[in-house]
Amino acid sequence: MRRLQQSPARYALLVVALILFVGLPTVVTSFQSAEWTQVLIFAVAIMGLNILVGYSGQISLGHGAFMALGAYTTAILVHRYNVDYLATIPIAGLLTGIVGFFLGIPALRLSALYLALATFALAVITPSLIKRPEQLTGGVRGIEILPPQPPDFANSAFTAVTGGPAMTSDQWLYYVCLVIALVLFWLAWNLVRRRPGRALRAIRDGEVAAAAFGVNIAGYKTLAFGISAFYAGIAGSLYGLTIGFVSPDTFPVALSIQILVGAVIGGLASVPGPVLGGIVTFWLPIVSNQFVGSQDWIPAQVASVFKNAGPAVSYGALLILIMIFAPRGLFGLIVSAYTWLQRRVRGAAERGTGHAPPDPQTV
Amino acid sequence: MQEFLQQVVSGLATGGIFASLALALVLIYNAMGLVNFAQGEMAMFATFIALVLIDHGLSYWIALPLTLVIAFAGGVVIQRVVIRPVERAPVLTLVIVTLGLATLVNGMAGFLFGYVPRSFPTPFSASTVNILGALASYQDLGVIAVSGVVLVLIYLLLQRTTLGLALRAASHHPDASRLLGIRVSWMLALGWGLASAVGAVSGMLAAPILLLQPNMMQTVIIYAFAAAVLGGIESPLGAVVGGLIVGVTVNLAGAYVPGVGGDLQLAVAFAIIIAVLIVKPNGLFGTASLRRV
Amino acid sequence: MTSLLELEGVRAGYGQTRVLHGISMSVGDGDIVSLLGANGAGKTTTLRAITGGVRWDGSITFGGHSLRHLTTEDIVRLGVAHVPEGRGVLTELTVDENLRVGAYLRHDKAAIARDYDRVFELFPILRERRRLSASTLSGGEQQMLSLARALVMRPKLLLLDEPSLGLAPLVVRRIFEVIREINQTERVAILLVEQNARIALELSTQAYVLEVGRVAVEGPSSQLKGEESVRRSYLGY
Repeated sequence: MRRLQQSPARYALLVVALILFVGLPTVVTSFQSAEWTQVLIFAVAIMGLNILVGYSGQISLGHGAFMALGAYTTAILVHRYNVDYLATIPIAGLLTGIVGFFLGIPALRLSALYLALATFALAVITPSLIKRPEQLTGGVRGIEILPPQPPDFANSAFTAVTGGPAMTSDQWLYYVCLVIALVLFWLAWNLVRRRPGRALRAIRDGEVAAAAFGVNIAGYKTLAFGISAFYAGIAGSLYGLTIGFVSPDTFPVALSIQILVGAVIGGLASVPGPVLGGIVTFWLPIVSNQFVGSQDWIPAQVASVFKNAGPAVSYGALLILIMIFAPRGLFGLIVSAYTWLQRRVRGAAERGTGHAPPDPQTV
Repeated sequence: MQEFLQQVVSGLATGGIFASLALALVLIYNAMGLVNFAQGEMAMFATFIALVLIDHGLSYWIALPLTLVIAFAGGVVIQRVVIRPVERAPVLTLVIVTLGLATLVNGMAGFLFGYVPRSFPTPFSASTVNILGALASYQDLGVIAVSGVVLVLIYLLLQRTTLGLALRAASHHPDASRLLGIRVSWMLALGWGLASAVGAVSGMLAAPILLLQPNMMQTVIIYAFAAAVLGGIESPLGAVVGGLIVGVTVNLAGAYVPGVGGDLQLAVAFAIIIAVLIVKPNGLFGTASLRRV
Repeated sequence: MTSLLELEGVRAGYGQTRVLHGISMSVGDGDIVSLLGANGAGKTTTLRAITGGVRWDGSITFGGHSLRHLTTEDIVRLGVAHVPEGRGVLTELTVDENLRVGAYLRHDKAAIARDYDRVFELFPILRERRRLSASTLSGGEQQMLSLARALVMRPKLLLLDEPSLGLAPLVVRRIFEVIREINQTERVAILLVEQNARIALELSTQAYVLEVGRVAVEGPSSQLKGEESVRRSYLGY
């Protein structure tokens, strides 16, 4: 809290963002709320990956697999065992987290490159692994999840505020995801600020040195894997609930790449980064498709192919450009711009007194 | 027994495809300590170019070397434009860049050539010949022969020419090599060009079997990873041996182990990767390297 | 008459840290010049500046050419060979391959073959270990290899960074004998960075002593050798 107060601009931004997110479903259509729900889900998955990659320095290209585990846990529990859908969310998260933790153990032995390779391979074979146990997973046909209806208290509150029609399932799910996302982000923020975060960063920046300082490398790295998987599992569970359907094709390699893209573009090793990443990852293909579709001078066949290929081209190009020109992602760019502005403003004010401006706060 | 031999020969053929792509991976790993996640996509793109050339009337045996030249040039361009700016960045950055490249190339292929699978010609007839009592197809033998020739040529280039010497020196010892007058940066570009050309061979051998479409190499690269890891990621010889072993193993597993169908063969490759990394991370021919502090 | 190598007012450093604060020195054709001083005085940085391994300000010319915007490879192609600290032996290659890389820039096959023979005469151990990986050589043998390789380059100027470092006295003797021989028969100019001031002064005609990035003393080696005050304050003996 103290740090927030020291930087009123950041505090204000946070409040504004909060208001925007909370108020969103009251002003946009139900369908659009559902779209923003996906943004939130991506943000959670990306935050999970960020803890692993950005903070502990371990590469994972297989987070889609964790999401699949979370999604299928929820789907199977709801569809087959009639467990209350809300209860399945933490179960999915915990289960995935435990699996992630145990996967983190062999991961310790792999160098960064080999870990990337192994997790990439995992992502590629995930659809196959899902198809096999047909009894459990429904094989290629997948599992359907009926959209949950909003409980009465939520419905009354919502209609009271909007004065409009009854709350839809999509809008209710939006709020469920928002609450979960807020909790998880708050958790991540605390983790990063306190000892675990510092330990992870020490490990990321130099394992040998960190070990010399007595940091329990193995413990923290596997913990990072577990926590990261936990987030991905919850994201997966929410993903299944909001889409209403899970199948092997819902979790291709492209999903793992998307999450990584979001983490990098948003800004690794930052807490707000994943939110930016979620926004970009979700909206980029849609916006670029709309843009291409609306341009008269682009022929229809090109536009239709662009729908398929466009996301890949834009993701790929964006990823490369960001790594070359702005490796700290969008959030890094914003921080740099802010620092630059601050220096100009303070510098001008203090040129007379000869004081150097104080260093800006970093997250 | 006959069937077993047939499966082995088939396995050697697919192994040749894996070995070629694995060799490309090893060439770049030796050059920069980096696994190029885009190698498969680059190979696929080169194969599409070959198809365009063939569709325009060129014979296969002219299109092949021409494609290799184009692929070589493409590899050099990619190194100059995309990789060089981030040469000195940490491993994670490089991995992400190659992933971005893979996504981009895949998208470009989809954009330019569409997603409908296309058949790709093969110069080898499908008829079979009798070897040691087993039937082997000319197709399989042809694949083994072509990949064999490519691998031998690369070996000769690297080990017996001055250029190859300079390339190896620049890969392992960039600073010392500069002090010997070697243009290290261009050697890296050469490495990428070679890798791209070798990868193109892999793509052109795979296409008749898998049908050419933008996602064609996504599974092949996993097998190539397994081959490179098994053989030792720094060893060109390891890539070849690893490729052949993976090809034969996966083929035999598919034929004789119940339940291992098309898609689960990939899981076998994954299991190989994990097993090697846990038991003997340096692979069959790799040497342990010191941990840089 | 301008010297083969001329440095004037050279400033250089790493990032924010300035190491050289204005060095001026020269090496004539066929001369042996030693560059002495304590650890951290800037000797290695001076050599790096010459071959483009560190950013510098001021003026450095070689054979009349300014080295201002040239890359390391280009400077080497002008005729400068640099055996760095740590010797720069290509440990992933064999001894033979190391020597072959030395001839990378040359095309005169017959002369190269003669040079190989010469090198094996000077350092017979290298002929014995030809086919082995360079990583199997001891410290002294690696120094011989890098020196041999530098010879094969047929440079006009040879920069040597602490050739005696970590080597037994007998090995050091042998190496310096070879250095003297190269200089006398091939007329290769040599700029020698050394902590072992005694042996460096014996070999060289001219010497510069660096202290904290500046030239503190310069003059003929015979003079510096004799002057007791210089020896005590700067050379430690």
